[in-house]
Amino acid sequence: MKVIRGAVDEMWSIIGQMTSSVFRHGLPLTDKIAARTALTNFVLHIHPVRVRRSWIRMSYTLCLGGLTFFLFIVLTVTGLYLMFYYVPSINHAYQDMRDLQFVVTFGGLIRNMHRWAAHAMVITVWLHMARVFLTGAYKKPREFNWGIGTVLLLITLLLSFTGYLLPWDQLSIWAVTVGTNMAKYAPIAGPYTRYLMLGGHAVGDATLLRFYVMHVVGLPLVGFLLMVVHFWRVRKDGFSGGL
Amino acid sequence: MATEAADRIAARQRVEARRRQLEAPTTVRDDSEDEMIVSFPEFIFKEFIAAVAMTVFLVVVSIFLQAPLLGQANPGVTPNPSKAPWYFLGLQELLSRFPPLMAGVAFPTFVIVLMILVPFLDRNPSRRPSERKVAIILFALYMAIVVALVIIGTFFRGHEFIWDWGWVLGNPQTCGGRAC
Ligand code: HEM
Repeated sequence: MKVIRGAVDEMWSIIGQMTSSVFRHGLPLTDKIAARTALTNFVLHIHPVRVRRSWIRMSYTLCLGGLTFFLFIVLTVTGLYLMFYYVPSINHAYQDMRDLQFVVTFGGLIRNMHRWAAHAMVITVWLHMARVFLTGAYKKPREFNWGIGTVLLLITLLLSFTGYLLPWDQLSIWAVTVGTNMAKYAPIAGPYTRYLMLGGHAVGDATLLRFYVMHVVGLPLVGFLLMVVHFWRVRKDGFSGGL
Repeated sequence: MATEAADRIAARQRVEARRRQLEAPTTVRDDSEDEMIVSFPEFIFKEFIAAVAMTVFLVVVSIFLQAPLLGQANPGVTPNPSKAPWYFLGLQELLSRFPPLMAGVAFPTFVIVLMILVPFLDRNPSRRPSERKVAIILFALYMAIVVALVIIGTFFRGHEFIWDWGWVLGNPQTCGGRAC
């Protein structure tokens, strides 16, 4: 009996040690514990430890910057799932999309989520920009972060655009044909730019591979790095707070 | 040791003071009523709720709304009209109205550069909406034009990208802006 009780106690203490190794500070019952939790937790450390009540009013940011970032995460996760089934070649791409839609477990749902989250991100990033403009939050000392934001807006559009080609259906190749045709009007560089984007004179196998590589590696990587700088600057410039 | 700490505190106060100075003309809020709170858990909880709401919204939409998948790409068959994705339809709309060099290159470049320069062009230090009427009106105009162009491109451009009331009038001949 004693041996069993001893073993149970030992087990509880090991479980306790495991829990406290993950959650170092217990419940945030006092401000001090809460502050220490925010400081030492990886997920929370991007946030300031202390904020003014007016900064976190939803009526100020409408959560738009945060939602844009959250959508980026959703897109990364759902995109990863799609990548397991998708081969960026004109012989496979379309059939892979159909398989995703009709055969793969949750394939249709994940594909839909990826698509609608992409549209939603284009909308939230515009609205976030509108919020920043209307609250005058781009003024000194945040001029630079506004510039980074503008580049992020362009990257968001390009991410959506490169993704548009990947299903390789009638909608995608013609939308991309129209879109890349716009590039060729630039003086001198235009036709070369278009050739560079397409990897040829028309949308084809090379285009699909180029768009795929930019869509899953190039643009997300640059976008993520810029987001990191963007968030860093929000902290270091000081949040603009309420009006 | 003690002087080092004192130096550090003094330095921090100088930075703080400088920042307040920089911000001074643009700061219109009254902080006395505005309590400082620890961000965890209240702030984090709000973010969490927003994320959950967005997830639920996406899942529900994705269950009921299929992402489009048309027939396999066929370089030989050009749909008419051929349209760019909706967020580029404003650009396509401009291209259908102005010379390509202007609509496709000069104009977008100008807008992007202008946007990046906004904080330097807007010399008004105030952040109060009532004191920035011109800026707000110009911005509202910009947004209204962008939205209007996208709506026109999406719904009012039919065969050959020609103006088409089909979407409003339900004229079956014109397919309401979509590919026939
Ligand atoms: C991928 C795109 C973007 C992401 C993920 C993002 C994210 C964020 C987040 C989370 C914040 C904190 C405050 C808030 O939520 O509103 C913020 C602030 C800010 N963003 Fe963005 N943003 C993006 C694009 C942009 C764009 C397009 C602009 C403007 C052209 C912009 C300009 C700013 C500025 C100036 C701030 C500081 C605002 C303040 O202190 O009140 N951002 N951003």
